[in-house]
Order: sequence, then structure tokens, then C-alpha cells
Amino acid sequence: MFSKDAIKLYVMGISLLALTAFVFFRENTTDWRDYQAEFRDLVTEKFGAERAEQVPSGVQQIWVKDLDRVDRCVTCHQAMEWKGLETAPNPYRTHPKGILEKHPLTAYGCTSCHGGQGFSTTLPDAHGNVEHWEEPVLGQEVSEAYLIKNSKALMEMNCNSCHRYDRQTTGMDYINTAKNLVEEKDCRACHTINGRGGIIGPDLTYEGDKPTEQFDYGRLTGRHAVFAWQVAHFQNPKMVSPDSIMPNFGLSSQDAQALALLVMSWKKEPIPASYISGVQLRDVPTPEEIAKEKEMLEGDGAFFVQNKCFVCHSVSSLGVNSAAKIGPDLSDAVVDVQNRFGRTLDDFLMDPTGTMSVVLATQIPLTTEQRQQAIALLKVAYQRKLEQQIKNTSPSPTPAGK
Amino acid sequence: MATEEISETKASSSLLATLREKLALKPMWEKLTWTWKPETKREAGDAVVRNFVLHWFPAKVSLESLSWGYSFWLGTISAVLFLILTITGGILMFLYVPSVERAYLSVKDLEFSTSYGWFLRGLHRISAHLMVAVVFLHMVRVFLTGAFKNGRKAVGQNRPLNWIVGVALLLITLLLSFTGYLLPWDQLAYWAITVGTNIASSAPVFGDPTRFILLGGTTIEQATLIRFYVLHCFLLPLATFGLVSYHMWRVRKDGGLACTEKRYEEAKKQEQPAIASKTYSLLGITGGTAVDVQNVMIDDEEDKVPSSPYLTVRLAVVTLATTIVSILLTLLVRAPLEEAANPAVTPNPAKAPWYFLWLQELVTITTFTVGGITINGALIGGIILPGVLVAAAVLWPYFDKSPVSSIGRWFPKERKWQNRVFLIIVAAILILTFIGTYMRGPFWEIYMPWQEWEQTPRRF
Repeated sequence: MFSKDAIKLYVMGISLLALTAFVFFRENTTDWRDYQAEFRDLVTEKFGAERAEQVPSGVQQIWVKDLDRVDRCVTCHQAMEWKGLETAPNPYRTHPKGILEKHPLTAYGCTSCHGGQGFSTTLPDAHGNVEHWEEPVLGQEVSEAYLIKNSKALMEMNCNSCHRYDRQTTGMDYINTAKNLVEEKDCRACHTINGRGGIIGPDLTYEGDKPTEQFDYGRLTGRHAVFAWQVAHFQNPKMVSPDSIMPNFGLSSQDAQALALLVMSWKKEPIPASYISGVQLRDVPTPEEIAKEKEMLEGDGAFFVQNKCFVCHSVSSLGVNSAAKIGPDLSDAVVDVQNRFGRTLDDFLMDPTGTMSVVLATQIPLTTEQRQQAIALLKVAYQRKLEQQIKNTSPSPTPAGK
Repeated sequence: MATEEISETKASSSLLATLREKLALKPMWEKLTWTWKPETKREAGDAVVRNFVLHWFPAKVSLESLSWGYSFWLGTISAVLFLILTITGGILMFLYVPSVERAYLSVKDLEFSTSYGWFLRGLHRISAHLMVAVVFLHMVRVFLTGAFKNGRKAVGQNRPLNWIVGVALLLITLLLSFTGYLLPWDQLAYWAITVGTNIASSAPVFGDPTRFILLGGTTIEQATLIRFYVLHCFLLPLATFGLVSYHMWRVRKDGGLACTEKRYEEAKKQEQPAIASKTYSLLGITGGTAVDVQNVMIDDEEDKVPSSPYLTVRLAVVTLATTIVSILLTLLVRAPLEEAANPAVTPNPAKAPWYFLWLQELVTITTFTVGGITINGALIGGIILPGVLVAAAVLWPYFDKSPVSSIGRWFPKERKWQNRVFLIIVAAILILTFIGTYMRGPFWEIYMPWQEWEQTPRRF
């Protein structure tokens, strides 16, 4: 019995020793060591052995205390600030210089712009294409998956964390386009953004913080991802969420991608004061915008603006311009209602059918007096339209029906 | 021997001897080591008596207690796992920060940048899971062999008490694992503890106060983390250490493992029954039997071997094997670390730790709707049923009236029925645990293990 046990003991002892050796081997043969060795070879080849000796070894990290970031990317990407490796293959390439002048590595780290998992020291984990890591590196791989032409465009989402109140930012083409679209399509008619806007749609100020689990991916084909959902929703809101009353603006896929990046950038991120000193931390409308808004709110068509009719309908003869133009122009509602429903405007507005019955019951509750006011105003609007037509026709006649 | 030597060297007072005396090298060395090939019986016995590490062993031990097939050494394996957990846990305490801001990040650091951090964390986690399983199996073994029953071998036996200590140790093991589950502060941790503590809160009267005290509030926050941390790293290990020591001491007091009762019973059978005779008492002659001293002599030399080296070598084999299995599993299974804890997002499905999943299943089964009224199963499945099981376990030795001859044997005929009932309960727990672990998917629907779940949503 004893000698048998002794043999077992020897076998176990040797196995444990072997296992310990394996653990030691695994700890000391990580991929980053290979990358560092290769980088040292590259430096030796290009700049000589002396420079190669200066290459630091071991896990390297940029700790940005203010942003609560620990980025170990520089363990493998060692050439970030080296001169002369601008064309070297990654991970040994020098970082483009221009952007680093205003955004030094020590103050921003890597992941605040690029995404990815700064803590990690293995490639799949660091680049973040792993389960339970929400922010993959925003680069080629994700761009290709979404057929985005410019692989750097995705990063603009992160730039906009600090630059969200900029009207336009140099180098942020997608976000700039999206910001223009927000004005052009008048998203604020329904949505509050940065404290300004309507209340028909949800407040979008912190849309980027909405957890991934809170989207309904049921009608989405392909990847269950917030970005995919946002793009699909911008292109066809009703397809993704059938109950949505958001109009389909017929956006191109590039515009939809830009808008998706913009709304996903709207997060409540604490940014240290020193990073945004001198920046106006709110949306300041331009004088033209204020004038336009004032005209809409105080002009003859003020009623339709205040009661949000303008979200769907223009009343062009009264200077009310709808960005969405979902419903018909109300300037000729007096005759149009008659044509469409076979009822007078008075009759229809008091007891509407179809979409208007839903809208007036749920979105825009109007009292009887308000309805009468609307009818009176619409009659004025028709009058005004006819006058404008006569004015327009006298100098240069237009073809009939226009 | 050692002290004699020292006094001799004192007399000679050579420099080297003085140095040796001061450092007391040899005695200390001898206190910690022993020869594994003793030349004499005395040397073998000395090793156990004189040695600090071995002092809790008897000088001699029966061959049955050493056999692999009787006990499977499950108690020893549990103790070895506890040792591994203490060592790895001790090191992890230097690296882990029990604050809601840093906890998750310090575990990320362990995974990615601390030297051998991934190994320490993985080994600690695997050993903890193994310990839960092995302690449970140990209990199953003790029940099936009726080892919680008093025999007739030793005076002052109280095996039922030791069984109750064992039940307490099983519960503490579960609590240790449960408190450790929260520490990584990721989604897995946060929601497992949410599910677990919600089950506790459904107990009548005491439920909510218990949860409040455990969490240090009504939600899982910093107060909870530090409570779980102190319980996990200090109070519960201390309790385990104390109870395990007592558990071991009781094994000695109870005359060793229950399997040794057999030989005593066999020897007793061969004894002649007491002869009916006249007996003289102080008051005169009375009828009856002579005073029968119920002491059976068993020839120790025949079936016992010295603990050193027979027990010590086997102990070393078990220790090494347990360590090897734990390390192998650590290398094969990567310890999960999900997103940082987010109270706003409930993962779907949210599961308790695996060893409580049979309870979660019971809660599901006992939740049903009758005529518009929903019966919440948390009370029946989560509190009453497990409460009844623990109470039954504690009291069982006092209701088990099977004969002494059934002690310390696997599947004795006399205990056929209670073993069957016990095995059915064990099987039910295992099946429910399996269903909860591998077959419950989103919305707690049944998914076959090969069926794919819905994609987990991502940002990109």
C-alpha cells in the first residue's frame, strides 16, 4: 500500500510541477511580448540597436485620472509618437500628428476617441469584439460591417462627447452633416435636444445613454445593435417601431448613419472642466434662427405653431413652414377637406375621422373654442392664398392647377 | 532527543553550536518535518506526537478509514480546497478594492495586467465552485453510509452533533460562495445577488429585515459590497476554520470514521454472552446476570498502521491531486467577467448562482395562477421547502432508528428506504440545478442546451 501510494505521490508531484511550469509559460508568452520584440527588431533595422534599447518593455499604460481611463494600448502600439514610422504596418505605425497636437496622448489616452477596452492586453479583448464589451474599436472592422465609406467616421461619435455644442467641427464630416440635418429637418419641432424643443417625441438629449437592452430588435434583420437600430429607424421609423408617428424623411443611408452617430454621441458624460474651458455648454441659436422662430411663433400662423399643427402641416400662406410635411398644406384646407372627405371644414374639425381623429384625441387636444379659432384662421389662410395667387399670376401667369 | 543534544552542545560551547542553539534550527525543522520511512514504530509514533502539523492525527489509523472507496476522501478534499481558497484569497485581498467605483476595474486589472492575476482569480473561482460541489457530495456520502449514527465503539460519541456541524458547514460554504459572487461587481454578480436576496426577502416577518441587514439598505450598493466583503474575507472563513477544527476534533472523539464500527461489531459477535449466575450484592444474593463489561478488545496491531507515513502520504496524494484538478480546470475554463454592474439593466435571463438555481426553479414551479390570483412561489419554493429540507437534515439522525450494524457501510439493507428517499431528493436538486443552469433562456423559457438563444444586443 505504501509503495503504491509513494508512486502516486511522485506522479502527482511531477504533474503539479509540470502544470506550474505551464502556468509560468503561459504567463510569460503573452502576445504583447511578441509584438514588443518585433517592434524592437523594426527599430533596430531602421534606427539602429541604440534606439532599440530605449524601447520600453513590459505592460505600458496611459493613465488619465481625469477621464478615469487606463489605456494599455501602447503596450503593443508603441510607436505612437515616434518619428519616421508613419508608413510602418500596424501596430507599429506613428499616430497622425495633427490631431495629437490638440489632443495629447497623456491627457486623452486612446480609448476616449478610438473605443475598445483599454484595460486589456490581449488583442481580441482590447479591440473589444468580445461578448460583454460594449465599445469595440471604432475602425475598419465595424465600418466594413456597416458599409460605412470612411472608416474614421465612427470615431466622430466619441469626438462629439466634448464637441457636442459646436455647430460645426473641423474634421468631423459625418457629425457636421448630421447637425445640419437636425436644423434642416427641424427635429426640435417634436424632440427636445439640449433643453430646447418640442415634447411630441422623446427627449433626445441623452439618447446615447439608453441601454442596449431597451431597444426592440424584433423587426430588425441582421445584427442586434443599437447602431443598426438607429440607422434603420432613421431610414424608416415605422418599420422598426410600428407605433411611431415619426415621419419618414427619406434619408440616404449615409445621412442615416451620420444621424445615428450623432444621437449615440449624446451621452451624459462627466467631462473635467479643464478639457472644455471656454466652451459654451449649451446650444446657442443663431440670430437668423431666433428671427425665424419668432416669426413662426408671433406671425399670423402662431396658433398652428403653438399647438404643434406645424409638425405635420405647413400653412404656407401664413408663413408656417413644416419641416416634415407629413400632412397637406393647410392653406387651402377649406376646399381640400371638402374634396377629400365630402364634408365642410367646420364639420370635419369638430368631429374628425381617420388620422386627424387620432392626433386630436391623443397628441393635440383642442377645446371647442380652439377648434373654432382654427377654422376661422384656416379661412383667413385660404383667403390669403387666393390673394397671393392673384398677385403671382398677374405679372407672370402660371399654368392652371399650380 | 533534541533537547539532550542541545544541552550537550551547550557544555562544549563551540561557536557553531551556540549559533545553532540560538537559531534552534534543528528542533524547529524537526517540528515541521518528519521522516516518511520510519525505521521503528517509535519513530513513526513520534512523528505524529511531536509534529505540529500532524498533531491532530491519531498515532495509528485503521486501514478501512484510509481506503479510497469508503469515504472518497471528500472531507479532506473540501479542506484542501479551503486551503487553496485561503491562500489565493489572501493574495487577492492585496489586489482587489471593495468599492463600487474600483471593484470592477480592479478585477479587470487582475485579468489583464497583474502578474498571474488571471490565474489567481481563476483558481480561486474554480476552487470555490468545486468546494460547494465536494462539500455537498461529502454530505451525501455521510448520509448514505449512515455515518451520522452513534455506534458502540467509543464512550462519549456524539456523531449526530457532528452531522449538524457538517450541515452548518455546508450552509457556510454556500454563504461564502454567495458573498464572493458579488465582489467582481459585474452584471453577473449584481443580478445573481439581486435574485438570491429577493428570494430571502419573501420569508414571512423576517424576510425583509434579513434582506435589509444583509444589504445594508434596500438596494445593492456600497454598503452591500463592504458587508459581503467582510463576511467573505473575515467572518465566514473564521467561522469555517473554527467549525472545521471542531468537526475534526469530533471525528477523533467519536472514535474515528464510522466504518471502524464494523470491526467492533464483528468482534463483539464472537464474544460469549454473559452467563446467568448468582450475584452477590450488598443486600445478599439476587438473581440475574453477572456484571458484563461491554468492552471488546480488538487487536490493534492486526488492522492498524502508523499514521506516518500511511496517512500522511495519502493526505499528500489527495492534496496534490485536488490542486492539480483545480489548476487544470482553471486553465480550461476562463473566469467570466461581464459588463460593470448596472442596476438599470436587468439581463435576460437573470440567474442566481448555480447552486441556488434549484431554488430558483422551485420558485418558478411553485408560482402559479389560479382563477386570477397568482401564488408567488418565493415563499413556498424559496423559503419553506429549503427550510424544511435543512430542518429535516438537522433532525434526521434522531429519527433514524436503523440498527447499529448498518453504520459505516454503503447501501445497507436496513437503511434501504431512507437512502432511496434521500437519493430522490438529491437527484431532484441536481436535475433542477441542471435545468436552471443549462435550459433556462430569455424570459425564463425552456431552451434545449443545443438551442440558440437570442443575440445579446450590442452597441455596434
